[in-house]
Amino acid sequence: MAGTRFRMIALLAVLIVGQVHSDETAEPPSQLADLLGSAADARFARALEPRAFAFPDDHGPHPAFRNEWWYVTGNLDDEAGRRFGFELTIFRFSLAPTVPASSSAWRTNQAYVAHLAVTDAEDDSFYVAQRYSRGAVGLAGAQAAPLRVWINDWEIAAQAGTEAWRLRASDDAIAVDLELTALKPPVLNGIDGLSQKSADPENASYYYSITRMQTEGQLRIGERDYTVSGLSWLDREWSTSALAADQVGWDWFALQLADGSELMLYGLRLKDGAWDPASAGSFVDAHGAASHLTASDAEITVLDNWTSPEGGVYPSRWLLRIPRFDLELTVTPVISDQELFTTVRYWEGAVDVEGKRDQLPVEGRGYVELTGYSSE
Amino acid sequence: MIPVTYRASFSYLLRHPWQLALALLGIGIGVAVIVAVDIANASARKAFLLSMDTITGKATHQVIGGPRGVREDVYTKLRVNHGVRAIAPVVEGTITIDGMTLSVLGIDLFAEREIRDFTGEAHTRDAGASDRSTFFADFFLTPGAVTTSKQTAEDLGLIVGDVFELLADGKTRRAELLAVFPDGGNNALYRLLVTDIATAQEWLGRAGWLTRVDVRIDHNDEATLSALEAALPDGAQVLSAAGRTRSTSEMSKAFMTNLTAMSLLALLVGLFLIFNSVNFSVLQRRALIGVLRALGLTRRQLLAMILIEAALLGLVAAILGVALGIMLGEQLLHLVARTINDLYFRVNVTGVGVDAFSVAKGLVAGVGAALLAAALPAIEATAYQPRLAMMRSALERRARRALPTVTLTGIGLMIAAVVLIVFSGKDLVAGLTAVFLMILGFALCVPLVVRFAAIGMAPAAAALGGTTARMAVAGIASGIARTGIAIVALAVAVSATIGVSIMVDSFRGSVGEWLEQTLQADVYAGAQRGAMDPALVAAISDLDGVEAVSTRKRAWVEDANGQTQLRVFEMPRASYAGTEILDADPAAVWPAWESADAVLVSEPYSFQHGVGAGDSIVLPTGGGPREFSVAATFQSYDINASGIMMSRATYLRHYDDDTIDSLGLYLHNEVSANEIVEQVEALSNDWQALYVTSRAGLRQESMRIFDRTFVITNVLYWLTLGVAFIGILSAMLALQLERARESATLRALGMTRTQVGGMITAQTGIIGLLSGLAAVPLGIVMAWVLIKVINRRAFGWQIDMSIAPDILLVSVAFAMGVALLAGIYPAYRAGRSQPAIAMREE
Repeated sequence: MAGTRFRMIALLAVLIVGQVHSDETAEPPSQLADLLGSAADARFARALEPRAFAFPDDHGPHPAFRNEWWYVTGNLDDEAGRRFGFELTIFRFSLAPTVPASSSAWRTNQAYVAHLAVTDAEDDSFYVAQRYSRGAVGLAGAQAAPLRVWINDWEIAAQAGTEAWRLRASDDAIAVDLELTALKPPVLNGIDGLSQKSADPENASYYYSITRMQTEGQLRIGERDYTVSGLSWLDREWSTSALAADQVGWDWFALQLADGSELMLYGLRLKDGAWDPASAGSFVDAHGAASHLTASDAEITVLDNWTSPEGGVYPSRWLLRIPRFDLELTVTPVISDQELFTTVRYWEGAVDVEGKRDQLPVEGRGYVELTGYSSE
Repeated sequence: MIPVTYRASFSYLLRHPWQLALALLGIGIGVAVIVAVDIANASARKAFLLSMDTITGKATHQVIGGPRGVREDVYTKLRVNHGVRAIAPVVEGTITIDGMTLSVLGIDLFAEREIRDFTGEAHTRDAGASDRSTFFADFFLTPGAVTTSKQTAEDLGLIVGDVFELLADGKTRRAELLAVFPDGGNNALYRLLVTDIATAQEWLGRAGWLTRVDVRIDHNDEATLSALEAALPDGAQVLSAAGRTRSTSEMSKAFMTNLTAMSLLALLVGLFLIFNSVNFSVLQRRALIGVLRALGLTRRQLLAMILIEAALLGLVAAILGVALGIMLGEQLLHLVARTINDLYFRVNVTGVGVDAFSVAKGLVAGVGAALLAAALPAIEATAYQPRLAMMRSALERRARRALPTVTLTGIGLMIAAVVLIVFSGKDLVAGLTAVFLMILGFALCVPLVVRFAAIGMAPAAAALGGTTARMAVAGIASGIARTGIAIVALAVAVSATIGVSIMVDSFRGSVGEWLEQTLQADVYAGAQRGAMDPALVAAISDLDGVEAVSTRKRAWVEDANGQTQLRVFEMPRASYAGTEILDADPAAVWPAWESADAVLVSEPYSFQHGVGAGDSIVLPTGGGPREFSVAATFQSYDINASGIMMSRATYLRHYDDDTIDSLGLYLHNEVSANEIVEQVEALSNDWQALYVTSRAGLRQESMRIFDRTFVITNVLYWLTLGVAFIGILSAMLALQLERARESATLRALGMTRTQVGGMITAQTGIIGLLSGLAAVPLGIVMAWVLIKVINRRAFGWQIDMSIAPDILLVSVAFAMGVALLAGIYPAYRAGRSQPAIAMREE
């Protein structure tokens, strides 16, 4: 997923500010490709070798790197059993490696973008909202201790005196106000947190996840409030490098199984339709012990497709097989249409999981992200 | 039948092209002046409103703060703590590029979508310097990156990618033209640089502060509005954007009303001229009219014929006038815009916008004036018995008989003018109406006065210049129906110049004296715009030779009622004498002003708001609205009608602003001002470019701006005089035309060409003299009304009236000169006429 999101970030970095102004959809792809192809300024920090992670410091920002995000997804139910999904993502970009000295507090190289999405399974509805801001004068920013990542009135912040984090974001039609408590320690993806994105060693990120967070709180759709609870997943990643030119998109899975284990898997798709050998994942057992998965460990089969009313055909049902862990899972979207028309168009939605582990039936829930499918 | 009579009527006009041309020109110029002033005013106003409107964008409200603006954390709190979304921060100011002043609009592109579109529009490809895909990041990241309208870039000679220097807050800064945006066809964004808010704060020295926060609230969404109000700290307030624009544009209202009044004066003089022309054309055709009546044309038909002719004449002239007015308006617009920029607010005009309404006004004025002017002669001409109508003497007799009635009407109008002045309180339009009533009333009295003067002069003329002179003078008296109008037109025009000259001269004198008294320091040093660098203030104060320092700050505070200017001073007690206290004991005023919450109000402020010593006023402060007691009223000719003088100590207690605009330096006796000026300049070169001048220099500069303000007044009264000149020329021409037979008789009786020409010249000279003399009393009364009524009502200040004799002498001489000039051609013509041919007509 790291690479996957990385690409989206790159798109965003270019487009956010532009998008602030026009209602036109994305820029012509040729221009984007140009920009993605351009090398990042050498003064940005790079993810080239494993590093020591320290928490809670690494929950905070790493502004020496060009891109970074706090990605929270979760599956929730209200007291009557009504099924919801949510996504709250805050992206940080360093648009330049340095900031000139200035008397003005508005002078910065930091920009922030956030997406909020809510899925209402019962009503077959999907809601999206977006924010963007410069990372200055307190309008948006990130800090490690106490943890606070915010963009205007949306925030992910440590709750004083508890281990919990509070997520707050609201828009005209939707709002979430949730308390998240980690049930497992952070998992370092890739090799000790260094996540390789292609054969080129320059294309890598630092990437960790908290794969299981108990979640309680309020969710609002329209005028209606729901008291909800469930599980969330946090993904944290920062990097500078660009994607390889022959990668067109990705399928990313974050699945939480009822037996207490989790599976994270991302498949990077090449232009010729094959999976990039750099595709990878992590399997986390019920005790929190993580195993790195490589492309050869996983098998992804698309079982069904969904055609977006706006054009583009997305896969919408998968069979995942991880023979190493005797795992075979069918992943099905809770509702078909969970496509976001934000700065960049992509699909990210709640899914149900059904299958077998060690020959025993297992179920679960999760989130899937699909990019590079919309017909541009 | 009708077509034949019309052909007769028009062929007459065509046979007298000079008369036709002059009549057209008279109406035309009158209409042109009206149209020009209207266009200039409307264009300046429109340019301002359009640019405000475009810059305001979709914002319905604006959050404003104290004199320095709104603290930037107010904006952050609105977004982060209160979740307000449709808001955008703005840092605004002005900078100069090679002496050209431009506005800077500092914005946060991330917040702009809710408010403005043009700030994110960019045409970068033309020059190929910057790619659109990187434009937004460049705009955000590059210090000094700007965009501007296509037209502005062209005028500055810049293309995309150019790096250039500008002067902001007294410092030279580097800027880069990142892109141009389209002008939208209306140049609303002319001379505007759009830049990132960080650059704007750096350039303008506004770190930590916003000029305002633009807010978009849906119509009738009272809940959001009151939530926003509740979220604001003390000293910040939400005002309607449209209301703020309106109150700003209204600052110049009095100025524009005065201009319109002056343009009406030109039309009024034009009206006399039209009256004159139509009257003559009717008089000349009295024989034709008599014949037509005798042939059976009804009175109504004849009346219609004359009026239609006048209307057509008026229409043709008005069309010419409108065309001329549009050209003239362009010239005038620059003068109007410059004055507004000098005195009120920034307005950038690129060209005149001719709106249909201005054109319609000009056409209606032209046709209406022609009809109005033609009505009286037409009614008169058609009222006679056909036989009588053919006799000229009947007309003169009737005119003479009507004189007392006309004169009484005139006196009645003048009385009405006085009554209107007394009972109209502070109303400017009523004051101007009174001026017009007075002019009309006076005009109606002129013929009688002139007649008696001419009769009275006859013996003296005979004694001095013999028969020719006697005849010339007598001719004026006996031809009053024709000469009277010309005299009135010239007298009104000259009296207007006398009135305006005395007013400007008195005003100038009062301002000069006031400056002499007010400017107490020896040297003045101030920031070109904005605040002085505090370190520089300290360094200047420490210069050898500087004995004491006064500080000054002009701050604007604003609430829903509009803007008020605070003049914040800290000065040595010895210089308190520079402020003339009008309504209290200075000894008691100053201690209260220094330490208690007491302020002084300027005379214009006092007049406008009806407050003085002992009253109290409410001002918006950092802690919300606060009451201040008024210690006294002080004399001031500062143009901004709202002026409150506050001590620095009081200001610092109530406003979050310790900046200083300028310093007054009091020097030791033996130190020369010029030496200190040089030292301060040298000192400021390293910090911030300052405006440094000695007392004499500042006084000179103030007078220069004063004079510049009245350039437009001069232009208008020269135009009025031009109309009067044409009037007198056409009147003399017509008179001589009509008297061709008389001249011929005189020639036949043995008078030489020179004698006939001389007589006519003498006559026009005397007409000029009489007009000039008649203009003197009206001019003086007009000056008095302009000074005591119009200026007081428009701007609130009191001016001491002083009459310079040379103004009067020059005006009378001018009237004579104009008349003589106008008499040259008629005199030449009369002298050339062949007696035999001229007499054969009978």
